Amino acid sequence: MIDTLTILTIVLMASTTYITRILGYLMLRNHTLSPRMMSVLENVPGCVLISVIAPAFVSKNPANLLALVITLLAAMRLSILPTVITGIFATGLLRHFIG
Amino acid sequence: MNINTLESSIPISLESNAKNEFWRGIKAAFPVMLGFIPFALVLGAQAIQNGLSFIEVPLMTGLNFGGGSEFTAMQLWTSPPHVLLIVAMSFLVNSRHILMSAALVPYLRHLPKRYVIPALFFMCDESWAMALSDAKKQSRNTISFPYYLGVSAGLYLTWVMFTVVGAHLGPIIGNVEQYGFDMAFTAVFLVLLRGMWKNTRTCRPWFVSLAIASLTYLLIPGAWYVAAGAVSGLIAAAFWGKQQ
Repeated sequence: MIDTLTILTIVLMASTTYITRILGYLMLRNHTLSPRMMSVLENVPGCVLISVIAPAFVSKNPANLLALVITLLAAMRLSILPTVITGIFATGLLRHFIG
Repeated sequence: MNINTLESSIPISLESNAKNEFWRGIKAAFPVMLGFIPFALVLGAQAIQNGLSFIEVPLMTGLNFGGGSEFTAMQLWTSPPHVLLIVAMSFLVNSRHILMSAALVPYLRHLPKRYVIPALFFMCDESWAMALSDAKKQSRNTISFPYYLGVSAGLYLTWVMFTVVGAHLGPIIGNVEQYGFDMAFTAVFLVLLRGMWKNTRTCRPWFVSLAIASLTYLLIPGAWYVAAGAVSGLIAAAFWGKQQ
């Protein structure tokens, strides 16, 4: 049921992931942050989130792109739950009928 | 109010406030928890197909708790696994966490290190962004720690439990992509981004990130696009920050 090499891989992978989670905090927590550093950190959320979803913006499937536009419009007006539902339905339906 | 009741009422109100904040976090995380479910099911099913056991699945998703790196590991999984390749790819996929936890530093100044270090175990894109945007929405310069823990608890338990369900359902689960569930994350991220939007000028680095991440995704195979997009946007932010 338990394989040594699998467990080793899982433990090393999980440790690596945890290190990425604490590294930035440990590096900066004892520093006073310059205004420029603050303006860079202010931009981290936007830059990270938009980079993670960037592949959706360059999809080769027209159904996906159209669904993205609909989801984007929903996100500009609605809260998380209705936007998620709109996004899933738009994507599922458009893929069914176009893609 | 005499001194006795004053003394006893302060810790109680603090405690109940923390409890309320924790529940507020769980409630806020609910739509994201729903979005996690289809992915957790698929991951669990993939892991079983790759030869992981019913114990190893929650061990991986519970110890690692990072969907991106877990899907990548399953893509690369062989029997026996290439340990170093999988560890290196996990680092690459999760390298954005370094920037994310750095960005939390100004918002965590009120908390001792011994609280923060364990709590950061649960930091994922969603819990991090929700805690930050909650602080901004309430115009506070610190994140609400119990709110963050509430969001984290909801997301963590959902992820681990539903990867186990997926492992047991196995091949019944088809390709979720055909139903459109993969748009759930894009939708969540777009709403979070809208909450952080100020104006075109201050958000210029986002467009740099979007352009570079998209190009990297199209041109370079693998997970480089997140790191490339994030770093190039931040270089632009440092440059524009100096101009102002």
